[in-house]
Amino acid sequence: MGIFKKLSWYFQEEKKRYGLGILFLLLVAIVNLIPPKVIGTLVDSMNQKGGIQTGQLMPLLGLLVFAGVGQYVFRFGWRNAIWGGAAKLEKTLRTRLFNHFMKMDATFYQRHRTGDLMAHATNDLNAIQNVAGAGILTLFDSLITGTTTIIAMIFFVDWRLTLFAILPMPLLAVMARRLGMRLHAAFARSQAAFSRLNDKTQESVSGIKVIKTFGQEKEDTADFDQIVDHTIEINKKVNFLDALFDPTTSLIMGITYVITIVYGGYLVTSNAITIGQLVSFVSYVSSLVWPMFAIGRLFNILERGNASYDRVAELLNEHSAIIEQPDAIAAPAHGDIRFKINKFAYPDDDHATLTHVHFTLPEGHTLGIVGRVGAGKSTIFKLLLREFDDYDGVIEFGGQNIKAYTLEALLDAIGYVPQDNFLFSTTVADNIRFSSFEKTQPQVEDAARESAVHNDILDFAEGYGTLVGERGVSLSGGQKQRLAIARAVITTPELLIMDDALSAVDAKTEAEILDNLRQERANKTTIIAAQRLSSVMHADEILVLKDGSVIERGSHDELLANDGWYAEMWAKQELEQKIGGETVG
Amino acid sequence: MAKYESAWSRSIPMREQWHIFKRLMSYTGAYKKQFGGALVAAALLAGMNVALPQILQYFMDHFLTNKSATVNILLGFGALYALGTLLKAFFQFFQTFLFAMGSERGLEDVRRELFAKLHTLGMRYFDQTPAGSIVSRVTNDTMTLADFWNVILSVIVGLFSVVSSFVIMFNMNGKISLLVLAFLPVLLIVIWYYSQYSSKVYRHMREKLSELNTKLNESIEGIGIIQQFRQESRISREFEATNNDYLDTRKAMIRTNSLLLSPIINLLYALALVAVLYAFGLQSQITFVEAGVVYAFTTYVANFFNPMTNMMDSLSSLQDGIVAGSRIFHILDDTEYAPAQNPGASKTITTGKIEFKHVSFAYDGVHEILHDITFVANPGETVALVGHTGSGKSSIINVMMRFYEFGTGEILIDNVDIREYSMTDLRQKLGLVLQDSFMFFGDISSNIRLFNEHITDEQIHAAAKFVQADRFIDKLPKTYHARVLEGGAQFSSGERQLISFARTVVTDPKILVLDEATANIDTETESVIQEGLRRIRQGRTTIAIAHRLSTIKDANLILVLDAGKIIERGTHEELLAKQGRYYDMYRLQNGDAVTD
Repeated sequence: MGIFKKLSWYFQEEKKRYGLGILFLLLVAIVNLIPPKVIGTLVDSMNQKGGIQTGQLMPLLGLLVFAGVGQYVFRFGWRNAIWGGAAKLEKTLRTRLFNHFMKMDATFYQRHRTGDLMAHATNDLNAIQNVAGAGILTLFDSLITGTTTIIAMIFFVDWRLTLFAILPMPLLAVMARRLGMRLHAAFARSQAAFSRLNDKTQESVSGIKVIKTFGQEKEDTADFDQIVDHTIEINKKVNFLDALFDPTTSLIMGITYVITIVYGGYLVTSNAITIGQLVSFVSYVSSLVWPMFAIGRLFNILERGNASYDRVAELLNEHSAIIEQPDAIAAPAHGDIRFKINKFAYPDDDHATLTHVHFTLPEGHTLGIVGRVGAGKSTIFKLLLREFDDYDGVIEFGGQNIKAYTLEALLDAIGYVPQDNFLFSTTVADNIRFSSFEKTQPQVEDAARESAVHNDILDFAEGYGTLVGERGVSLSGGQKQRLAIARAVITTPELLIMDDALSAVDAKTEAEILDNLRQERANKTTIIAAQRLSSVMHADEILVLKDGSVIERGSHDELLANDGWYAEMWAKQELEQKIGGETVG
Repeated sequence: MAKYESAWSRSIPMREQWHIFKRLMSYTGAYKKQFGGALVAAALLAGMNVALPQILQYFMDHFLTNKSATVNILLGFGALYALGTLLKAFFQFFQTFLFAMGSERGLEDVRRELFAKLHTLGMRYFDQTPAGSIVSRVTNDTMTLADFWNVILSVIVGLFSVVSSFVIMFNMNGKISLLVLAFLPVLLIVIWYYSQYSSKVYRHMREKLSELNTKLNESIEGIGIIQQFRQESRISREFEATNNDYLDTRKAMIRTNSLLLSPIINLLYALALVAVLYAFGLQSQITFVEAGVVYAFTTYVANFFNPMTNMMDSLSSLQDGIVAGSRIFHILDDTEYAPAQNPGASKTITTGKIEFKHVSFAYDGVHEILHDITFVANPGETVALVGHTGSGKSSIINVMMRFYEFGTGEILIDNVDIREYSMTDLRQKLGLVLQDSFMFFGDISSNIRLFNEHITDEQIHAAAKFVQADRFIDKLPKTYHARVLEGGAQFSSGERQLISFARTVVTDPKILVLDEATANIDTETESVIQEGLRRIRQGRTTIAIAHRLSTIKDANLILVLDAGKIIERGTHEELLAKQGRYYDMYRLQNGDAVTD
């Protein structure tokens, strides 16, 4: 029942809806009492000599029609109110969760994988909305229908018969509850078996080449068959338990019917009740089945809902570690960048990713960062973008600590082209003007030209209106990178960060893009991280990173003269270029 | 690229639906016992549902109306009813259980068939189809089939119930039973209208739901971008709009169900009841109407209408099933088969001579990737393929491994067309060491052995030792039984490479095909790997893609590829003397070797 309390904020918000829903449930229950009573009365009247008089018959039938129509209207009423309430709760929580996701920091996304977050936003929300729908319905329907029916049985028929007949009913609730629990456990195992099947399939598809190489198609299929056999065994148990629900109900209700036959029959024979009353009674008994059974299931709904609610609440309670200062500077950041990190380690990692990385980047200058994968290039950007705040050192932008700005003021000043160049499944144009939707088509095209992707886009079936992603055009790695660059340069940010953003672009296009950037961003600051040294050779300063530390620094010429790692790499890449390795891996 | 299709936004033509329906039903054939048993149980259950009210009726009309029931009679009828209930419970159980098991086995058969089918498809299919969508066909779509078959059950149960109730009513009172039957057309119209209307609403709802989940998923995956570009509020607004749209469709579904589902069936039942009671009332004015008859009759009227709600409610699963079926059959009917050998191919490779004669190849049949490739690798010799990415090195291996069918020309092994060898023999004699060393869930042993049960533990240890993989395996907590997680993420790429070597060595192939890894491997492992490669090549014909030219200096023949053509050929010395492309490449790497 704790879950109802946890959800009370919602029920309060929607008290009119739920009040109305419960009122309709009450009306349905009351109207439901009419037919058994009417039938019983009719039976008794028909059993009189000469049968029932039309004058008596018509009002009774009128009552039945009223009951039928009333039921229709009231049922429509509660269904709309209560099921609608559940749907609305799900929607409300989904919005909340989504807005929360939007606010959370990188640490949060490290801890929770996409799949898990999706599961919370779908399965858990479903379990919670079930409480507000089926849960509320069952609770009130059981109480209302149960009470009114029992009262009717006592009033219209006989209190002793009622007492005896409902004796087995609590058993129904108990059995439903126990079966429900066992089914839940069996179902969890079935889910696990399903996951295994899923993993197996995933693995076989991903490893298809290995399987083909070793000619093990048959063996792999046999292995799959074995897992399927195992799944069938487990699902057998689920099906078995599931198939027990109806028979259990029938048996327990059977006891009630037997009591009714024996004791009710006795009461009729001894003239304590009429036969019509017995007919009514049998009808009433049958309308008790559902409420009693549902009570058992109610516990399962509430339990699951409760667990889900706790999980969701826990997510919602997590806070982003990135906090804006109360008097944060709202004016857009611009100016020199001073980066002085003595030590930074990712949360839950004892090993430092950056040590003593210091640089000053005057406004309008370009910084190049090179080094192998894992040298710490991206980490520098993550700190600049305030994805992580917990480090030993200070980062300044325009003479102010970056933490002193509002996130808006800081991030709006930065255009970032990430390594994985994630694009959204919308049109090409909307992907480019992702950061500012008010940009016009010419502005979008300018950005595309600057990123040397305009001509590619014109080749797409619907040009700038072409959809990107699963449902749309499939882009090459280079096209994706260039779109991501266009997305970042469209706002002419104070600071442009290109994180290995040209790796899939050929040398000619790279030169074209870099050339464009130099022209368009003459007075703006740029940081370029790359594996390919030609991307950074024109930078004012180049840092060579290794294992999170700067091992060489200087201009291109200085570094060549230095004859260290940079010079070696340069020689190697130049030769590669000559051989014609245009298509870089 | 196979386009992702949301099956919910496409409506399948009626004819095709019917086709899919029939084909899905054909999978139940193998489980006649289960499905047949379930239907028999359903029929018996319908019988019990008729019999139980009859018992009560008899009891009322013979012993209660005239108050003649003795204690024995009371107890006797109680016992009779109890027995009837017991039978009913039995039938209920078997109906549900047998049908569920039939469905379960049926859908697992579809799974097996799909999985087996996948293994007959060529690499091209896997290149073109995202892995996620294949997996989803095998697991999720098949899952839907259980609900699909269940619709059939609920329709049959409904039919049994309607027919049995009507027959008994007709027997009890022909005229009045016809009154109930008069409601049947109305009922059918309601069902028809509901199925038409609700299917539209339902489809719309599913479409919105999939849109909602796609947005959600994408927003989580793209959160970095969203936050960096400060688009949280816009994305939230867009999400909220979709969220609201979905809520609207759900409300529409609720309204549809509230108007046209169980409440309307109930209304019809109430009206039928009124008609029946009116008729009995009029009759009672003429002849005596027994209480039990009224009781039983009204119960049957309820039985006549009740199963309808259930049946109508399950109709949406029919649609789900058709949609899933269309996607499943799409795979089952795919003809992108793996290249086939000649019929009756049964030759076996003995010496391992390989010859390419003017081989051309195009992945799509149009744009040639290999042009006129000709070379010979004599038994025991090594032929090395060099060239930059996209030059066609991997394609040579792909056609030789029969992952793809080549176009014109000939590939000969031991002077015989490669298509004349049985696939089993080819797989046994051609050992391919892949660039990315895929690891399977299991342990180290199972990753070396794969599914080949003829390989003993000793052979595995020997193979591992041979490639010096034992050095790191012996250090693992459970050595050869150390668990390998999905993708083998806990091992370095060098270690995975060594396992992959051992995997090949243990099968002792005649011909070795090497696709050397380009991945960054630390120097120490690198030298172990090079040593491993050297050892494996001993005594085997080897076709090797080499990135480190130093490893192939001793190759008998080096082919330099560019844009699918062989532009230089010869031994290391010959090629150096030529001072062409190979010379440049070698110089580059030599410099690299000096500084690395």
